[in-house]
Amino acid sequence: MKAFRAAAFVAVSCAMALTLVGCGRSGSGSQTSLTVTGSTTLLPIAEVAAEDFMVANPEKRILVAGVGSSAGIESVSNGTSDIGTSSRDLKPEETKLGLIDSKVALDAIAVIVNLDNPVTSLTTSQVADIFAGTIKNWREVGGPDLEIGLVNRDEASGTREAFSKLVLKGGDFDPTAAVLPGTGQVRSVVAQAPIAIGYISLGFVDKSVKALIIDGVAPNPETVAAGTYPVSRVLHFFTKGEPAGLAKEYIDFVLSAKIQNAVVRDAGFLPIADGGK
Amino acid sequence: MQSRERVDKRLTNGLALGVIWLAAIATVGALGTILVYVFINGIGQLTPTFIFGWPHGVNMEGGIWPTIQSTIYVTVLAMLIATPIAVLAAVYLAEYAVQGRLVSTIRFAADSLASVPSIVMGLFGLALFVEGIGMGFSVIAAALALSFLLLPIIVRTTEEAIRAVPKYIRWGSYGLGASKWQTVSRIVLPSAMPRITTGVILAAGRAAGETAVVIYTMGTMINAPVSPLDPGRTMPVHLMLMAQEGINMPAAYGTALLLVLMVLGFNLTARYIGRRNRRMQG
Amino acid sequence: MSDERNKMTDTDPQMCTDETARADAPRPPAGQALSTISRATYLKEAILQNLFLLCACVAVAGVGLIFLFVGLKGWPIFAKVGLLEFLGGDKWYPTKGSFGILTLIINSLLAMVGALVLGGPLAVGTAVFLSEVASPRLRELVRPAVELLAGIPSVVYGFFGLVLLRPIIAQMFGGLGFGLFTVWLILAVMIVPTIATLTEDALRSVPDGIREASYAMGATKWQTISRVLLPAAKIGIIDAIILGMGRAIGETMAVVMVAGNARVIPEGIFKPFLTLTTVIVMDMPYASGDHRTALFGVAIVLFIISMLFVAAIRVISRFGKEMS
Repeated sequence: MKAFRAAAFVAVSCAMALTLVGCGRSGSGSQTSLTVTGSTTLLPIAEVAAEDFMVANPEKRILVAGVGSSAGIESVSNGTSDIGTSSRDLKPEETKLGLIDSKVALDAIAVIVNLDNPVTSLTTSQVADIFAGTIKNWREVGGPDLEIGLVNRDEASGTREAFSKLVLKGGDFDPTAAVLPGTGQVRSVVAQAPIAIGYISLGFVDKSVKALIIDGVAPNPETVAAGTYPVSRVLHFFTKGEPAGLAKEYIDFVLSAKIQNAVVRDAGFLPIADGGK
Repeated sequence: MQSRERVDKRLTNGLALGVIWLAAIATVGALGTILVYVFINGIGQLTPTFIFGWPHGVNMEGGIWPTIQSTIYVTVLAMLIATPIAVLAAVYLAEYAVQGRLVSTIRFAADSLASVPSIVMGLFGLALFVEGIGMGFSVIAAALALSFLLLPIIVRTTEEAIRAVPKYIRWGSYGLGASKWQTVSRIVLPSAMPRITTGVILAAGRAAGETAVVIYTMGTMINAPVSPLDPGRTMPVHLMLMAQEGINMPAAYGTALLLVLMVLGFNLTARYIGRRNRRMQG
Repeated sequence: MSDERNKMTDTDPQMCTDETARADAPRPPAGQALSTISRATYLKEAILQNLFLLCACVAVAGVGLIFLFVGLKGWPIFAKVGLLEFLGGDKWYPTKGSFGILTLIINSLLAMVGALVLGGPLAVGTAVFLSEVASPRLRELVRPAVELLAGIPSVVYGFFGLVLLRPIIAQMFGGLGFGLFTVWLILAVMIVPTIATLTEDALRSVPDGIREASYAMGATKWQTISRVLLPAAKIGIIDAIILGMGRAIGETMAVVMVAGNARVIPEGIFKPFLTLTTVIVMDMPYASGDHRTALFGVAIVLFIISMLFVAAIRVISRFGKEMS
């Protein structure tokens, strides 16, 4: 019994030693496997497209992970992944990283409130004040005399970044706001708590929450395509340098009419060709 | 004693015992609530498709098989690494060690390892195994980090098991001329084996449920790892991500239920082995 | 050789009984026993003994490695920002270059204290129940329940808190349902097994004779428990509580799902807050450069805090032993 245990220990040590010697991952970029990391907002597109692609090309493998836009940009620029997806534009300091942008879809960010909330419409500056913490009570915007339950996204979120740029114009979010790490959580908290307000990608709005009319424009595919809804953005696939090899095949696949009209629309976004931006 | 004192005494006693009963009921009640809630919401999910299928689509519809494979793989590997080292360390502490500065330091180190927050262990694994040695996100990196976590647990239970072996058995062995190693390997360890096994199984349950350590060493990609260098997503990580994204809650409940069932399984097995051992020892 | 055996019997009159059959009872003096065996066996024994010692030292190596690697990754932030500013600054805005973790430390402490206040009495009560009040059959029911509670993964606790507790608390108390109160409830249940098992051990190790003497003097069960047993087991209970504290302050997954993660000191117990552990989980996915280094710095702080708890237990145990 003891001998077996000792032998197992030696075997495992040898195995460990061998793996230690033999490894050091060479990162990504082989012609048969692709790593795509980044925004959770883009996951509906990236993953379904990847699945369809792998069905059409069984010998190729595409690994998709949702880690946040910032992490996606970071990992594609340091070589850990082949494609970095992002639901926000590059920050000024990121433009020097040598990343090439492939725009893949259009999206809008809806400001959502609970179904029981009587408020249906706000101006951009009101929304900005609410999320900055300057307006703290619903009665200041025509609602009941209740404290506003602010729901924010985590800092890794491209949706948060885009919202910050488009609505807060670079101002700070209220630091006492609850910070939730996922679109679905924001939606379910807002759906359940009457005082809550949050923001999610238009594609995720469903019957459990109400999307507010902003500056008199309702959020729907038409207004987004027309460019009248104020809180809209482009969704990106970033590559280090021009897309080549498997990355190019995949991106071309995502930009193909079939995927754009089916997968992108199904996920609640708009084909990139639709927008004037 | 005055009769009023007697009444006071009985009243306080009754009240206090009532509170104690409440505490026990609350504890069992908390466990029951969690188990029942997870069970009711998750049982509908446990179809063969769920258990053996792969997730597809954005919201991970389908099954969670790759996470099950990842969990089993990393748990088994971690146990294979940790158990031999821990058992031998416990043998040293129980049989050979002399009270002194070295042993004191070893025990302090073991206790410290046992109370390291698992997220610190996760970052450690990231710093040393994933980035430092360059293993990348992999099963082996996670298993190595996990084994540091499991080491003190297994050492503790093994040491207790060894110490529970009656001294006269050892002396009988020495009396027959056996060396120390022969005594330990052929008499003491086999005698302590059921208890050691119980401890090991419970440690495995701990390893299977770990999240913070695994996220930073094995990654979050859906993958069914084959080589130890492959990344993967374990069930606890999957549960956390499903819950955080909040879109596919049924899958989250199903994963939670499977996890709880797994832990229950480990617990019951360990208990069964312990009971069988006790019955055999009479 | 037979001389040694006889000598042993002389010095140890209670040789073959279970009470004295402990691993640290006297054994044949090493030199004399080994000198009668072959050189090959002696070498083998020596090698094996050192091998086992090596295994035991893996624990020490582990602690050292953690310090080394997490420390190396986190050290630059202390150098850059200064230890005082890092620990004492109350603004954690890493994207703007502000790395003060005081708010996080205070929040972690707030979470821990509340969990202890709720969970400590619950755990001690359960332990007293198991040790003094329960019939053997009830014990067979409740003790496995406590052990099972210990085995439930923390992510399942967090999930449960998120899907069941949060909506209920939001409905009952207004607000969003995140915050100290929810965290206290979850953490309290999580530390019950830790504290209860150790407390029960401590109570069990109080000799029965003391109980019987107390009952013989006419004390009720509660009087015995409160005036005799709990004080007698005091050291063990304090150890258990400190261990529970360590568990509470180090918990991540369960807390991050119900705390709300706002980087301020919460204004009420139903307002969101961020702790030392949850900041790492929230920020790590996107942190880079100094931010990432700072998170490793937080990890070192957590590690040191947990080691302080372990040291505190040792000191208290030694103090207790000297007193008794």
